[in-house]
Amino acid sequence: MNRLIARYIHENIDEILEKWKIKMEEEKDDRFFQVMSDQVIDHTAREFGELMISSLTEEKETYRGKLNEFSVQIVRFGWSVSFVLKTLSNFTEVIYENLEKAEYLNESNYKSYREILNNWLTPVTHSIVDAYSKVWEKTVSLQKIALQELSASLIPVFEKISVMPLVGTIDTERAKLIMENLLQGVVKHRAEVVLLDITGVPVVDTMVAHHIIQAADAVRLVGAKCMLVGIRPEIAQTIVTLGINLNDFTTTSTLQRGVEQALALTNRAIVEVNS
Amino acid sequence: MNLRSSVDIISEWDIVAARQLGRNEAKDIGFGTVDQARITTAISELARNIYLYAGKGNIEIKQITESKLKGLLVIASDSGPGIPDVRKVMEDGYTTSGGLGAGLPGVKRLMDDFKIETVVGEGTTISATKWLR
Amino acid sequence: MMTRIPILKLRDCLIVSIQWELDDQTALAFQEDLLNRLHTTAARGVVIDLTPIDFIDSFIAKVLGDVINMSGLMGAKVVITGIQPAVAITLIELGIRLENVVTALDLEKGLEKLERELEA
Repeated sequence: MNRLIARYIHENIDEILEKWKIKMEEEKDDRFFQVMSDQVIDHTAREFGELMISSLTEEKETYRGKLNEFSVQIVRFGWSVSFVLKTLSNFTEVIYENLEKAEYLNESNYKSYREILNNWLTPVTHSIVDAYSKVWEKTVSLQKIALQELSASLIPVFEKISVMPLVGTIDTERAKLIMENLLQGVVKHRAEVVLLDITGVPVVDTMVAHHIIQAADAVRLVGAKCMLVGIRPEIAQTIVTLGINLNDFTTTSTLQRGVEQALALTNRAIVEVNS
Repeated sequence: MNLRSSVDIISEWDIVAARQLGRNEAKDIGFGTVDQARITTAISELARNIYLYAGKGNIEIKQITESKLKGLLVIASDSGPGIPDVRKVMEDGYTTSGGLGAGLPGVKRLMDDFKIETVVGEGTTISATKWLR
Repeated sequence: MMTRIPILKLRDCLIVSIQWELDDQTALAFQEDLLNRLHTTAARGVVIDLTPIDFIDSFIAKVLGDVINMSGLMGAKVVITGIQPAVAITLIELGIRLENVVTALDLEKGLEKLERELEA
């Protein structure tokens, strides 16, 4: 029966394609036709037909190889995965409808036809989803690395005073890296006051506050004082609303204020020089 | 480079021996200074717990590999009185020795994976792993 | 094998430089020695430098905390210096914050800080 279907597809691929395109348009997926050129659509659909034939007639290994290649290719087009799966199942539907029309099907065998087509569609779906997930996972891990490379460094703005601008969200892993950088910087610069600037931190929830407090505690153990600067109005609101206790901290709203205070703490001030 | 080594904890000096072992193994695998400190401290805490509460026990340190990740596994086992209320012991701030109460929650924070198996009257086994990032 | 930690006197202050890993007995002996020294010298300040130390567990932390409190009772201020980043991180993760402990980056800054605190 497999050979029968295979041969049918092979002989009627053009008709199948036409019907499938109509079905796609019916489903109001006309962005499909906008995004891709007719040629590419045709070519890909035909390949899909070949793939079906291959699965029905060729060795499992050979088929699997072709399926893999096909999946990787589809992912490269960049369509949404649900869209791709819809087009595949539409294609299968069209074939089934056509087989019905061509009177291949009757009461006794329509169940087996249905089964063959389903058994065929399911692994293809899995393979496509698999290919998509691999790409997603790779992207996520690359972004993770990029985020870590955004690591903050401690800047020695004055003798005894260093600043660390924190940018972006701070999850537990980043927090660890930040803390290590911070402490090593304090020792290297022989800083007595450290200003943690959180102007660039979009969200300060209890978790982030916890990390900041831990970092400040560690700085204190190493022998320097830690100040928190760059507290935006929204952040101040969130902190108080969440009940986070930052009373052990010296805080200011701007880096400038913070630097002035740090200078005062280290017995210095900036004065205008008379020319 | 040993793949696994163990120290019996009977006297206070064994605590020192256990941490030396841990430090060396950690250095061997390639952990950085901060993780070395974490591992050494965790082992010291675990060994001390054995010494204080069970009187006698063993610390085993193993280099392990799991799906391409290398790590150090520390197994602290004793045949002491066991822990009757594990949840309470894992609460922060709970301490029976009057110490600073770093205890087991602290060890859990220092390491990556942490597991306690205990039977009252029979003993306790704590397994903790640190993975090389 | 108990090693005793050397305690030096500099003017009004005692200086302790801990050079090697502290085992429990050495730590306790040190506590005793320091308090005795405070008594005989009537020193008003102590700097304890931990630069070569690469880890501090809860027991050592407790001994240090006790030393500071005991010295306070005897009228001396204590500054702890040279806590390494790795040690600081480990202590914080263990949950030991050492909140009332005065710290400084190294021996030199520690002495400066002591002088400021004592003058106040």
